Amino acid sequence: MEAVAALERDAELMLRVRAGDTTSFALLLERHRTPVVHFLFRMVQNQAVAEELAQEVFLRVYRSRERYEPTAKFTTWLFRIATHLALNWIRDGKKEKGQESLNEDLIEGVERQVADQQPTVEQEMLYEVKLREVRDAIGMLPAKQRAAVVMHKYEELEYSQIARALSCSESAVKSLLFRAYETLRARLSHMAS
Amino acid sequence: MECVTKIKDSAEVLMDYGSGALSAARVAEVDRHIEDCEACRQLFAAQRALWLEMDQLAAPEVSGNFDARLYARIAEEDAAPAWRRWTRRLFAPAVPVAIWKPAVSLAATCAVLTVGLMVRTPGASEKVQQQVRADHAVDIEQVADALDDLEMLSPGSAM
Ligand SMILES: [Zn+2]
Repeated sequence: MEAVAALERDAELMLRVRAGDTTSFALLLERHRTPVVHFLFRMVQNQAVAEELAQEVFLRVYRSRERYEPTAKFTTWLFRIATHLALNWIRDGKKEKGQESLNEDLIEGVERQVADQQPTVEQEMLYEVKLREVRDAIGMLPAKQRAAVVMHKYEELEYSQIARALSCSESAVKSLLFRAYETLRARLSHMAS
Repeated sequence: MECVTKIKDSAEVLMDYGSGALSAARVAEVDRHIEDCEACRQLFAAQRALWLEMDQLAAPEVSGNFDARLYARIAEEDAAPAWRRWTRRLFAPAVPVAIWKPAVSLAATCAVLTVGLMVRTPGASEKVQQQVRADHAVDIEQVADALDDLEMLSPGSAM
């Protein structure tokens, strides 16, 4: 029931945006800003690039407001645009440029969180090592597998939604995910102990 | 229950078991099976462990000025002449050219002014015209991306 209510709410807001209501756009932004930026961050692993791409996602939503029809779930549409932008960014090799600063924001952010819990130096180092390993393992996945995993694991999208975002069938998504998790299990198995 | 590695939807069962999306009844089935099947026990445990390990990849908070930057760009677009908005919509690169810099918007403003000047001045220099032509030159890939975007931007097409 919650999912249906959410769908109606987003579609309703977007229809108001289409009618020229800017407050509704602000509400949509409020609801989806963080998931979209976080999805893009985990895709491109660079905060500045993720936010830049997220800006583009919302700009495109705004630009296409006049043509909006509530025929698909708003979130699916949003992630379809975000995925498209992320895959293009990765394809165009822009990754290397941002890679140098990869992503110290993330490491610093987690270090701050860890510091708040007053861990020992060893614990802090362990956190950082684990974090880097997870990040690198995800970053090494082929782009489409990475997108599927990030939407599945972190955004909790359904297989059907991921399929629409990636323009493929549900069975293709399950196969992408299965291969991705298989690779991740192999790369990260030593961490479980 | 038959060995999970042999059933048709084994991939889904494994992933849903790991994520906690599997129904209680099916979890019980899997748990009964893995009591006697070492291969599955290892596989399902590894997937659960992976799921927990992946939680480590937290994402940082969104910058406080994210909305302000977005609204500035929207305002800039809304203020642009209609023809420019239209060409931008049609030929927008699929990804932003660079990390946003104030210089970009300044350059865009200059370009608009240049075009405006050219339109108003019949004898505009050839150099300016070349510049404008260069601005409008789009390679095949960009057109393909733009068409792709148009298709993607109709929510109906996502169904
Ligand atoms: Zn088995």
